Amino acid sequence: MKPGPDWTEQARALLDASTRRLDASTLSRLNRARQRALDAAAAPRTALHWPRRLAIAASLLLAVAIWWPGSTPPAVATLSPEDAELLAEGELEMTDELEFYAWLDADGEHNG
Amino acid sequence: MPLDEAHHDTGKARLDGFLRSVERRALRIAELSTGNRDEALDLVQDAMFAFVRHYTAKPEADWPPLFYRVLDSRVTDWHRRSQVRGRWLGSWWPARNVDSEEDPLATAPDTQEAGPLLRLMGEDAGQALEGALRGLPLRQRQAFLLRIWEGLDVADTATAMRCGEGSVKTHLWRALNALRLALEPHR
Repeated sequence: MKPGPDWTEQARALLDASTRRLDASTLSRLNRARQRALDAAAAPRTALHWPRRLAIAASLLLAVAIWWPGSTPPAVATLSPEDAELLAEGELEMTDELEFYAWLDADGEHNG
Repeated sequence: MPLDEAHHDTGKARLDGFLRSVERRALRIAELSTGNRDEALDLVQDAMFAFVRHYTAKPEADWPPLFYRVLDSRVTDWHRRSQVRGRWLGSWWPARNVDSEEDPLATAPDTQEAGPLLRLMGEDAGQALEGALRGLPLRQRQAFLLRIWEGLDVADTATAMRCGEGSVKTHLWRALNALRLALEPHR
């Protein structure tokens, strides 16, 4: 089943064409970025940032303690396992990111 | 060649192939949100690093939504920082409007021009489409690009955007309507 109206096929074609027009410098930078990522994947991971992990774990524990058991958590403050994994690694600045997503969605409701 | 090394090389080749397959579209998606190629390249590089660190052990079928989930997070974070910066600057120069998402139609192409099909066949079709896409709110643009261009299904788009499938459908419906309004002539 097509995901959108017929004109979206032409939109796809135009967007595809835009990727073929990327200049050599941009493609070279993409290639270097990919190679660096692949090298990072091959490198052994170190047990790093234990203080930061501990601080994040303590923050999460505190949040659970505050919310448990009487009060109900805010509807927007859901954390998937993937998010928790990224958060534990310090990959996401998520202390207010979930609220920001909710705000974006709410903003879309009003403006979109 | 030792078995582990061969396995590692195969895995690296698959990962390389996957990243090659998404990197150009990822760059364009980031560029449509930031309006800046250098910023977009940085976001894609960050997304690649985070993806290989966290998700390469996942089944390959899950890689596309997970990669775009990371990229979406980076784009959203960039968007938030730019809004904070905009608010700060706005306190000094109130007339400056750095938030282009207040009114998507305000930045969309002239709706009096030719309709989508004619426009999309014209010389400026790409620019018209990109202008209309840039005029969309972030979540609508992401829903359109991930679902329509990248071809993720609704569930995978929801994974990438960290929202429910219903939200994806709503964002996409609004994006399609806004784009049609921006690209179609008044009848």
